[in-house]
Amino acid sequence: MTSTSIALCTDLTRRYGEGDAAVDALRGVSVAFPRGEFATIMGPSGSGKSTLMHLMAGLDSPSGGSVVIDGTELSQLDDGRLTQLRRDKIGFIFQAFNLLPVLTAEENIVLPLSIAGRKPDRDWLETLIAAVGLGDRRTHRPSEMSGGQQQRVAVARALVTRPAVVFADEPTGNLDSRASADVLTLLRRAVDEFGQTVIMVTHDAEAAAVSDRIVELADGRIVDDRRVGQVAA
Amino acid sequence: MTRLTLKSLASRKLRTALTAMAVVLGVAMISGTYILTDTIDRAFGDIFQQAAEGVDVAVTPRQAVDNGVQETPMDAALLERVKAVPGVAEARGDVFRNVTVVDDENEPVSTGGVPTFVSSAAPGRFEAFDPVEGRLPRADGEIAVDKGTAEEQGFELGETVRVLGDDGIVPLRLVGIAKYGSVDSLAGATVVLTTLRRAQGLTGTEGKFDTIAAAGEGGTSAETLRDRVKAALRGAPVDVRTGEENAEADTKDTQEGLGFLRTALLIFGGIAVFVGAFVISNTFSITVAQRTGELALLRTLGASRRQVLRSVILEAALLGVGASILGLIGGLLVAPGIVLAFKAAGLDLPADDTVLLGRTVFVSLLVGIGVTVVASVAPALRATRVPPIAAMRAGVGLPVRSGRKRFVFAGLLAVVGMAAVLSGLFGGSEGGDAAGQLGLGAAVVFLAVALFSPQLVRPLARVVGAPFERLGLTGRLARENATRQPGRTAATAAALMIGLALVTFVSIFAAGFRASIDDIVDQQFAGELTVRNKDGFSPLPAATRGAVRAVPGVESATGVRFGMSLVNGDETVTFGVDPADLTKGYKLEWEEGDARTLAGMRGDETVVAAPWAKDEGVKVGDTLNVTTTTGEQRRLKVIGSIDEDESGLLGGGILVANDQMARHWDEQRDAFLFLTFADGAKPATVRAGIDRVLDDQFPVAESQDREEVKDAQAGQINQILYLFYALLALSIIVSLFGVVNTLTLSIHERTRELGMLRAIGTSRRQVRRTVRYEAAITAMIGAVLGLVLGIFFAWIVTQPLIDEGFAFELPVATMVGLFVLAALAGVVSAVLPARRAARVDILRALAYE
Repeated sequence: MTSTSIALCTDLTRRYGEGDAAVDALRGVSVAFPRGEFATIMGPSGSGKSTLMHLMAGLDSPSGGSVVIDGTELSQLDDGRLTQLRRDKIGFIFQAFNLLPVLTAEENIVLPLSIAGRKPDRDWLETLIAAVGLGDRRTHRPSEMSGGQQQRVAVARALVTRPAVVFADEPTGNLDSRASADVLTLLRRAVDEFGQTVIMVTHDAEAAAVSDRIVELADGRIVDDRRVGQVAA
Repeated sequence: MTRLTLKSLASRKLRTALTAMAVVLGVAMISGTYILTDTIDRAFGDIFQQAAEGVDVAVTPRQAVDNGVQETPMDAALLERVKAVPGVAEARGDVFRNVTVVDDENEPVSTGGVPTFVSSAAPGRFEAFDPVEGRLPRADGEIAVDKGTAEEQGFELGETVRVLGDDGIVPLRLVGIAKYGSVDSLAGATVVLTTLRRAQGLTGTEGKFDTIAAAGEGGTSAETLRDRVKAALRGAPVDVRTGEENAEADTKDTQEGLGFLRTALLIFGGIAVFVGAFVISNTFSITVAQRTGELALLRTLGASRRQVLRSVILEAALLGVGASILGLIGGLLVAPGIVLAFKAAGLDLPADDTVLLGRTVFVSLLVGIGVTVVASVAPALRATRVPPIAAMRAGVGLPVRSGRKRFVFAGLLAVVGMAAVLSGLFGGSEGGDAAGQLGLGAAVVFLAVALFSPQLVRPLARVVGAPFERLGLTGRLARENATRQPGRTAATAAALMIGLALVTFVSIFAAGFRASIDDIVDQQFAGELTVRNKDGFSPLPAATRGAVRAVPGVESATGVRFGMSLVNGDETVTFGVDPADLTKGYKLEWEEGDARTLAGMRGDETVVAAPWAKDEGVKVGDTLNVTTTTGEQRRLKVIGSIDEDESGLLGGGILVANDQMARHWDEQRDAFLFLTFADGAKPATVRAGIDRVLDDQFPVAESQDREEVKDAQAGQINQILYLFYALLALSIIVSLFGVVNTLTLSIHERTRELGMLRAIGTSRRQVRRTVRYEAAITAMIGAVLGLVLGIFFAWIVTQPLIDEGFAFELPVATMVGLFVLAALAGVVSAVLPARRAARVDILRALAYE
């Protein structure tokens, strides 16, 4: 399983602060996510699920242990390399959409490529735009779109570079149920049709049900790791 | 609420400091100007008090007309009449005039505007100079120098000091080093002391005095003595004052002289404050917008609109107090800075003990607090319109400003401003009034353009941003960010616009003057060479012309002298020319008459400049009542007129013969010589001969051919231009603080976006670049507006001058340079904000509030 893992955490710890005020957000987490999996990380507030995602995405550095993404050990990388890794190998979907208000939908979608100074692959872009169903909105700005539409743009943006792994942080947190369903369907299709790996952090059980696997955290430790459909241990 | 205001200021130290800087610089310039000029005033006052010591009555020549350069001396015979007054114990006549001291290489020892004087000296109660080494000169071959100069030049007793006077260089033996009362030097000037006869000989004032000092026998008051002397000298063109009164009059004269410097520097300080007001206003607008939620919360909790208004204004006032105090401290630093700058330019200003008057403190506080409060009124009013509901719901912000109202207001302001500008130009008012209207009108137009400019931000950004967009995403984002809040960008750019418009304006003027001078030189300088003083304005020693004329190969050497007259009651520039051979070296365009008219001009005749005559209603054949600098009344018949406008060398007044100039205007010295060479003479050889004579005997003079004259004039214009640049740089720096402020605030607003961009792989460098490009685009918008306005103003203001031969010419290279510099300045001011943006903590930026 390790050889096909796209994201591999070994004995990860993360401590914030020092001395008496120190808080251990992660207390030794080892977990592997294979290529092509749609995984969900769940847990109550303060369980460390966001910290785990931030560490895997190279947004934060661990106090101990290691993270390997697509064969690259993150602790070896400086800020520049980490940035490049996020740009090329990682896709992000945020709860607050986080589109650039000054850019059109299409420009927002190709943003990661623009950052890298690359031209988008036209066929892939068209496929994506069709998949997220925004063909008639490509020149609209975020302020002219609904929350669901904005989040679909964000999904397309996360997929445009065909990253090794897409991290979705509470992607349905700001959406009504219908828009949520749309976005979850999209993520599902990304995994099934395009072979993407998606790791989603959420505390929405309905959202988790769409995924293949649920990793559950509490107090900085993994307390459960099951295939969807299995009953919680 | 007050506590909240204080806390809000304290919690945003950097922003508060940056905002304050916008006012600090202007206030520093203003207070520095006052401190400087007050200090100089006092220094001169002290000197004049010193001079008055032991003097009961001072007699000075009354100037019939101020010739602006050197006062006309009085007849030495008056001294005997003063001595004969009952009660006068002692009286003495003195000469105090410009000369030049040269070193062994014939180079003047003091350069660049520091004057050198010769003062007649003799031991006695009137002598203000006391020897600290050796003694005062007793024989005509002896000399003493002031201590400051002696130390600077390393003069030692017994050595030879060479003084260049009207008849050439005179070597004198140094017998003394003297202090002026308690000071080492006279306001930085070089002063040499000689016998009276030597001083008169050096300055061409034989039989004349500049001052007569008298002291009474004990028991007669200065006032009584003054009245007796006055009665005794009735009818002579002199002023009779007590020593005390004379010191006061002299002090007042220098104060008036300094008044010009003070006004000029204050204007630049005022411009910087005006620009600062833009920056303050913009900063407060942005802060109010960003504090919408907080303000709404206060309103929900029961704060009245009045309280909100008060809290914003109070914040501004506190900022103003802080900025004014810093500005005052800055002023204390600026004043000596200006002294140093002048010193570097060779002008030693006397500034020993810094003078800080209550008035300076008052004006600084008034300006600093006034400008911040006034600039914050509009944002404060907007803050009161924040609806309480904004605290509850995101997306409810300030009510949208009415674009149309703003538009109409801007239009109205533009019309009013232009009316003031035009009235200043064509309204018939003179000098200061006209300039005042012009300046005020321009300020209003700036305001109008600033109000209108949000409409221009998008189109301008598209143009100036185009090259950046080619650089990829960073450029594209920069352009979009610059146009996101057009009002904000416009206000930031408008502040820069003002400084750049003024720089453009003076550049165009300078270019015009240079071109006009080139035209004149090309068209009218007919001779081979000109000779003039190296300093560009002082007259030549009287004997220069004869000596140059005697050089083999020189065919003619015609001199031009400057004087002033009252013609029919108006001050009129008066030129002395050599009627017989002026036209050999200088081409005249005749309106009425020809070269023969001039050649045959008699002593009671004059030729006038046609444009001047037209203004004065003078025609050929008229007789003019002319009062000369010596106070003589002359009647001169107009026998011809030349087509010479005010920018011409001989424009703007009347021409008389040089022998008349010497006799009735007491001007023996030529300001210019125009030389022609004999046929067959080798120009290079002749010039070498001339230069040898000048170097050996008259080292203050230099010869110039046509191109050299142009270069020298251009050099002088450029010197003034650079001074303007330096003074306007202050305003531009203030506006750059505005750029820093706006960027910092905008970046603060965009924290989340920056976090996202960084999360999905934007490098720090790319973030920095985006911010820098945005600053460059903002600055370039300001530059375009400034260049266009500057050209526009220059075009309007030069319209009346075009008739007078002014060449309107765009200094294209300078303007391109300005544009590029503005963009670079924008980039530089973005350095800190860009670093801040690049350092955004991704996780914190993305965290939900």
